[in-house]
Amino acid sequence: MRGFPVTPVLRLAFGLALAPLALVGTAHAADQVAVMADACSGCHGTDGHSVGGMPAFSGKKADELKKVLHDFKSGAREATVMDRIAKAYSVEQLDAIADYFASRKK
Amino acid sequence: MTKISRRSFNALVGAAGALSLAGGLSACSSGPRVVVVGGGFGGATAAKYLKRYDPSLDVTLIDAQASHFTCPFSNTVLVGMNDMAYIERKFDKLNTMHGVKVFTDMVTAIDPATKVVKTAGGKTFEYDRLIVSPGIDFKWNAIEGYDEAASNVMPHAWKAGPQTVLLKKQLEAMPNGGLVVIAPPGNPFRCPPGPYERASLIAGYLKKHKPKSKLLILDAKDAFAKDKLFKEGWEKMYDDIIEWVPAAKNGKVTKVNAKDGTVETDFEKFKPAVANIIPPQTAGQIAITAGLADKSGFCPVDPNTFESTLAKNIHVIGDAAIAGDMPKSGYSASSQAKVCAAAIIALFKGEKPLPLSAINTCYSLVAPDYGISVAAVFAVKDGKIASIPNSGGVSPMGANYQFRKKEADFAVGWYQSICQDSWA
Ligand SMILES: Cc1cc2nc3c(=O)[nH]c(=O)nc-3n(C[C@H](O)[C@H](O)[C@H](O)COP(=O)(O)OP(=O)(O)OC[C@H]3O[C@@H](n4cnc5c(N)ncnc54)[C@H](O)[C@@H]3O)c2cc1C
Repeated sequence: MRGFPVTPVLRLAFGLALAPLALVGTAHAADQVAVMADACSGCHGTDGHSVGGMPAFSGKKADELKKVLHDFKSGAREATVMDRIAKAYSVEQLDAIADYFASRKK
Repeated sequence: MTKISRRSFNALVGAAGALSLAGGLSACSSGPRVVVVGGGFGGATAAKYLKRYDPSLDVTLIDAQASHFTCPFSNTVLVGMNDMAYIERKFDKLNTMHGVKVFTDMVTAIDPATKVVKTAGGKTFEYDRLIVSPGIDFKWNAIEGYDEAASNVMPHAWKAGPQTVLLKKQLEAMPNGGLVVIAPPGNPFRCPPGPYERASLIAGYLKKHKPKSKLLILDAKDAFAKDKLFKEGWEKMYDDIIEWVPAAKNGKVTKVNAKDGTVETDFEKFKPAVANIIPPQTAGQIAITAGLADKSGFCPVDPNTFESTLAKNIHVIGDAAIAGDMPKSGYSASSQAKVCAAAIIALFKGEKPLPLSAINTCYSLVAPDYGISVAAVFAVKDGKIASIPNSGGVSPMGANYQFRKKEADFAVGWYQSICQDSWA
């Protein structure tokens, strides 16, 4: 539904018609990685679909995301807040988070 | 499908949001029942993520209000940067997109023995597990003379809604040269940097519109969240407007008089044009009524599942919970909600719940183009939620304009994202 300029009523109809699909799209088992990665969505939107000025992950490749996260952790990449956050995770955890978001639907 | 559509459509269109949204996708929810009390950051996120992690669950959300006005960004409303509609969150998408049943009603009683929730509207809801995320309530008369009636004269504006509008009107009506008093409480309280963001934005408003005015922060504490960063910004921008008086210099407000408009510390008496009194707080009343709070006024919980240590099958999240190092913030509430949702699903399956992994990131605006932040990642250590060492912390001191501007922009981006992640 994202990106459709629809009126509220139309949107509602779409919402209902597409809802089972949408659910399949966003559903995910609550495993360890999901719980860790979903904490990121507070800033970056559900599944990394940022709706505002925060960087979105949708459409990003896993390797790209991994590099960015590693560089935040090491300090190689300039940041405002992500350096402080990335330091809390091991490289393996960052990779798992990157794989998770890369595997989510665009 | 047609039938379900019509039902939901009628509920939505006919009621301006005030009726229940019980149709939608809920028809396919045949699994265990989870009832969520409160549709703020904690409750809304919990309801959405329960359905995301297990669409078969039967999830019901009950909020006393037809929509939720967020405290985050309510400080921008006070000074005219945004309007009330900007901070209004509706519950309809939780129903139409995620299949949560939504009811507008006040929960008045919880019976853990029979697992039933009762509402002011006379409804009863049975649950297998209950999530309680009612936010805060106030300790009236902890400051002498500051009761609920007094808050209609000297607003707290610490729950967004009519209180926000009242404080905004008072700021608009005050004369150039008037005094604004903000009185933050001691710890713990909702949103530790909140009073100081508010002071900053109000000082900016005064500087522009009523430059002869002063703003006095009469504090019950000697230190506060991000204090060095706030003071750095104040010195640059509001040196002649803001004065912060710590508890050690008798800043603590001990008495107010709503009739003559005076505010007192142990040593001084003020007559401000606008008095924003933020009283000490407890967990939301329903948590106390249901026996979920200890003598601190907040609710002890298991650090991995948020299940109450005082009542089985009831989970408490958000501001109402005692959550170790996690501050009482919207981000914390929302992050806890996801952990709690996953834990509930594991418990239904008879599995061991996963260990907590949670984040808090809080932005404060010192000015519309000047943002600062604090961040932390949390895990359970020695039975308590603790921030992970050698990470997190606050924005650097002495950063340049571009850096502060970027964080101000991220503050807005954060707000848009978390509202999407919680309610849509
Ligand atoms: C001025 C200010 C600025 C803030 N800024 C930020 C910020 O920038 N970032 C941030 O992360 N946090 C911020 N916060 C903190 C944030 O508002 C809270 O931490 C957050 O709202 C807590 O979520 P919650 O789910 O515990 O409670 P709430 O979000 O308050 O939700 C509680 C809900 O429960 C409902 N309810 C209560 N009792 C009942 C009942 N008996 N029956 C039915 N419904 C009931 C209420 O109507 C309400 O909708 C700010 C707070 C303030 C005051």
